[in-house]
Amino acid sequence: MMDAFRESSTILFNSHVQDWKTNGGSIVGYTCSYVPDEIFSAAGILPYRLRGIGAKEMNIGDAYFGPFICSLPKCLLQLAGEGKYDFLDGVIVTPGCDSMRRLDDCWRKAGEDRAETLPSFFFHYAVPHKTADYSLKWFIEETQRLKAAVEKHFNITITDEQIHEAIDIYNEGRLLLSCLDALRCATDVAISGADALAVVLASTTIPRKIFNSLLTELIAQIETGTEKITGRKRLMLVGSANDDVELVRLIEGDKAVVVADNLCFGARFYADLVEKDGEPVAALAKRYLFHNDCPRMFGDYKGRLKILKEKIERAAVDGVILQNIRFCDLHGSENGIFERDLEAAGIPCLRIEREYGPLVETGRIRMRIDAFLERLET
Amino acid sequence: MITAGCDVGSLTSKAVIMKDNRIVAREVILSRIKPAESALTVMESALQQAGMTLKDINFCVGTGYGRDRITFVQEAVSEITCHARGARWLLPTVKTIIDIGGQDCKAMRIDNEGKIVKFITNDKCASGTGRFLEVMAKIIGVTLDDLGGLSARAKAPITVANACTVWVQADVIQHLNDGIAAEDIGAGINNAMASRMAVLANNIGLERDLCMTGGVAKNAGVVIALEKLLGMTIKRIKKVDPQLVGALGAALIAGDKCERRAAS
Repeated sequence: MMDAFRESSTILFNSHVQDWKTNGGSIVGYTCSYVPDEIFSAAGILPYRLRGIGAKEMNIGDAYFGPFICSLPKCLLQLAGEGKYDFLDGVIVTPGCDSMRRLDDCWRKAGEDRAETLPSFFFHYAVPHKTADYSLKWFIEETQRLKAAVEKHFNITITDEQIHEAIDIYNEGRLLLSCLDALRCATDVAISGADALAVVLASTTIPRKIFNSLLTELIAQIETGTEKITGRKRLMLVGSANDDVELVRLIEGDKAVVVADNLCFGARFYADLVEKDGEPVAALAKRYLFHNDCPRMFGDYKGRLKILKEKIERAAVDGVILQNIRFCDLHGSENGIFERDLEAAGIPCLRIEREYGPLVETGRIRMRIDAFLERLET
Repeated sequence: MITAGCDVGSLTSKAVIMKDNRIVAREVILSRIKPAESALTVMESALQQAGMTLKDINFCVGTGYGRDRITFVQEAVSEITCHARGARWLLPTVKTIIDIGGQDCKAMRIDNEGKIVKFITNDKCASGTGRFLEVMAKIIGVTLDDLGGLSARAKAPITVANACTVWVQADVIQHLNDGIAAEDIGAGINNAMASRMAVLANNIGLERDLCMTGGVAKNAGVVIALEKLLGMTIKRIKKVDPQLVGALGAALIAGDKCERRAAS
């Protein structure tokens, strides 16, 4: 059962994406969890969250970005430059952070140098940094602009009915993923953090109807299964985007299990539902702007800390790992404040700075994890 | 009860054998490429000193970057926990420990019971580690042991602004060619090392007493410069070579585990 999720979480052009393409479907990639999948799903397009996995070199990424910047957008551009994303019919870039915002410029420049690098549909989708009435109004207009651009480029019409239908499908997926979250909180957890991440990653590429049916089956298996993970320290993973199952596997080793997270390739991706009543584009804008607890949003640190504390209690977490990708200003700084406040509340924390891309420095990361687990034992 | 600790580091491998809470043998060798080989060689040498064989050891703990590859240990424990345990045994009042090893440096803070409450390790590059000093000593033309003594004789230490070991190497060569005295260059290197370590140590919130472990603790130039930067006296470890504290901690933890096992 897990094989389908593992395959989709580790291979960019996985079998589900291949099938979609073979059947003549269009695929649009996007960079950030603030992009509403439902717009594309309603248009009959497969929304696909871009990842930098499998980048082995950085010659293209470095050429456009320079060395002192987050390696995630560099890996994305590297893969695009190598043709690994040639199956995409379009790309949406957001200002999730400054590094991601720069991806828009760098990718366009790379497209000027080598036309085939840039998909024919390339759209900058702006997202406000505040959750106020006026920013929501603006974001609704921006989402309508996105919808109109998709309609124009792909020569289609996206009806409200189609968006409502997509909202239902994606809400069902969110409820299923939340159900998986609840199972991870159990005393005798039945799924490792690495496998749970594989499930979430699969949700970003597999057509959602198929994903929902696979996850329904997996949840049933977990609920009736007898194999449990016991006697391990229960950890929570927080911080920068992590789509590397191997990092979680390294953290877990044979002494720990990651039972909760607050990552954008994780719980933040599927938290909360889109309202079903009213104008659907406005409902989408509201959910995506208001219910995505990323440190890119101004003035809501206390809210984010509260969410962490609630999750820590619900999942009976022994310790929190606050990781960030090198040069990640948003998570790097917020992790420092989280550490201060969580430690003051008696919750042990470990901060790790790492490089995105092929898992390196495993010895040093392992040493810190071991020391942290030893701290939790005594 | 006979216990042992084996610390396989990136530059050196260390072994300590303890009998009834007393050190009966200790050894330091240069590490080889394969951690398992380093561990066997250093332990065999320590065993020979003690007139023992591996069968005589009741419990052995491995530590250091090669800890998971040591074949004869019963358990592997991180070097952070081992250095803290060893330092507290040597200096019971210690609360903050700074360890500078061959390829990394760490600072850790412990509570009244010796439990680690906070730690930090370098995660940028090799700058600020023992390897940095080793490279610089070689260029200046002094031994690693003599590098520390240069600070005391310096008149106008150079300023090392660069953080990169490779670029500092180029700067040092430039200074040598400009006729700057080795003492002033050496003192600048020691100060730079202390300055990098101070940033890390301040991060965890220093508490008295403070001590230093690892090979660099033997470099008086770095230790004195660090004391000035931190505004705190660094308690000297005199009972054993500071380089052995990780292995010593491992041997002590082996004793703890042995006792716990006997009690259960």
